[in-house]
Amino acid sequence: MTSRLFWIAVALAVWAVLPFVVPRNIADLLVFTGIYSIAGLGIGLLLGHCGIVNLAQATFYGLGAYASAYCTVMMGLPSAVGFVAGAVISMALAYVIGRPILRLTGYFLALGTLALSAIASALFFEWDWLTGGTLGIGGIPKLDLFGFVLDRPSRYYFFVWIVAFACMAVARNLVNSRTGLMLRAMRDSSTAAASLSIDLQGLRTRVFVVCALFGSLAGSLFAHHASFVSTQSFTVDRSISFLLIPVIGGATSIPGIVAGAVFVTFLPEFLSKLGDIHQILFGLALVAVVVMLPDGLMGAVGRIRAWRAARRGGDAG
Amino acid sequence: MPAEPILSLNEIGHRFGGLNVLRSVTFDVPEGGIVGLIGPNGSGKTTLFNIVSGYIRPLMGTVAYRGVPLLRDSIQKRGLAGLVRTFQTPQVFEQMTVFENVMVGCAKLTRTTMLQDLLRTPAARGQMRDIRELAEAACERFHLKGLRDLPAASLTAGQRRILEIARAVVGKPRLLLLDEPSSGLNAQEIENLRDWIVRLNGEGITILLVSHDMGLMTVAHTVHTLYFGEIVASGDMATIQRDPRVREVYLGV
Repeated sequence: MTSRLFWIAVALAVWAVLPFVVPRNIADLLVFTGIYSIAGLGIGLLLGHCGIVNLAQATFYGLGAYASAYCTVMMGLPSAVGFVAGAVISMALAYVIGRPILRLTGYFLALGTLALSAIASALFFEWDWLTGGTLGIGGIPKLDLFGFVLDRPSRYYFFVWIVAFACMAVARNLVNSRTGLMLRAMRDSSTAAASLSIDLQGLRTRVFVVCALFGSLAGSLFAHHASFVSTQSFTVDRSISFLLIPVIGGATSIPGIVAGAVFVTFLPEFLSKLGDIHQILFGLALVAVVVMLPDGLMGAVGRIRAWRAARRGGDAG
Repeated sequence: MPAEPILSLNEIGHRFGGLNVLRSVTFDVPEGGIVGLIGPNGSGKTTLFNIVSGYIRPLMGTVAYRGVPLLRDSIQKRGLAGLVRTFQTPQVFEQMTVFENVMVGCAKLTRTTMLQDLLRTPAARGQMRDIRELAEAACERFHLKGLRDLPAASLTAGQRRILEIARAVVGKPRLLLLDEPSSGLNAQEIENLRDWIVRLNGEGITILLVSHDMGLMTVAHTVHTLYFGEIVASGDMATIQRDPRVREVYLGV
């Protein structure tokens, strides 16, 4: 227990110092890691606790980003309004769309969410009066916390990560709650869960709504960080990279989500220094992780721990 | 004193493809009783069970639960009304521990909203504590304490069966539907199961039991024999065993 506390303290110290000691572009990537962790967290809840593959997160990410952009730039409203508007629209859409498509299971559900992402991506492009189309919306103001402007990556880093930690705490509450218990039951045997009066459909829809909330929040944070949003940021490709976060890191583990977010933000950046081959290398790295570590990076950590514990136990005996 | 029926099946008929699996099945389950359903494989026992518990909607007939028509209600609603089943192959939540499995059984006794759970409000924490206490007591009662923290996937068939029953009973059912509870169990475990059925019935839980285990079936007050979707004989076990049609179609003598 004390060693656990010690490691948490070390991690927090590293977290606090990091943006001041790394170059600006790395600090920028760390901001993205925080934003992606929030978006990935929602998908992790669906994947790890409901067994649902959600390929639509870029939709909610886009809704959050456009809500923030539109409210602040076009309407001149405070940024908080954008956050709330994005969240409300995303959650309402997730509820309305979730009800019918969450009746599907397995591959069909994954394809349903993929279709949602494709449609949303096309609409972001078509509705240029709202989204600015490919030209996008620029000049989104930096966030201003009671006069303290978060205009540098190192400043925004703390804000994004505090929001991310809050989201993680909320996700953890959910997993440890009565709802979390019912979710895992449903994942293991939906037949038996139904016989114990668990409302499968309602539960799935509600988690989908929470996932959309996280997606929208991440989108709003992205808009205020990038200052500019356009359709390219909310394509199906983005939905896929969001799904990769829990797949790579480990869907049921919160540190796993962060590890997955680090993977999808940092690896392409480093590999891009190697020239045109970088996309192939990223693909290979991805395949390697998925094939060799089927339960993600955190699953591998768990197995190493179990192996070491077994070896220690063996030595003692 | 004849008890009011807790469950009434009236003229139930069902078909899969061209095959008539159930033909005008009619019987009552009196409140507080143990009713058995026997019949060879393919006689329609499990289909009837699926109809009562809500997994299948029958093509013909009606079912009333405590005097109210049941067939339009979802599986969940039937469960909340106190009608709980087990499965022919025990359906435990494999990746969860024994204790968590039992906790799931208690979940329907409490109500929290998603928002309360997300924010871990005092109400949500209180309910979780209640669920834990109930599950703790149930583990004690069903002698699952030693297995408490094992994943359910590691249990033997007999342990799974008891876990499934514990999980169903902790939710305070009025009518418990047991589907082939003795399958895969050894003689000692069947004896143990028998004791549980009698004890739970003594506590006021009505039991509808499907089995082709004649030994276990002696706990039932009334037994109905299904043969190719029809009830061919009803009565207590002694009567059933003497019935020439039952001997012919079921016992094969």
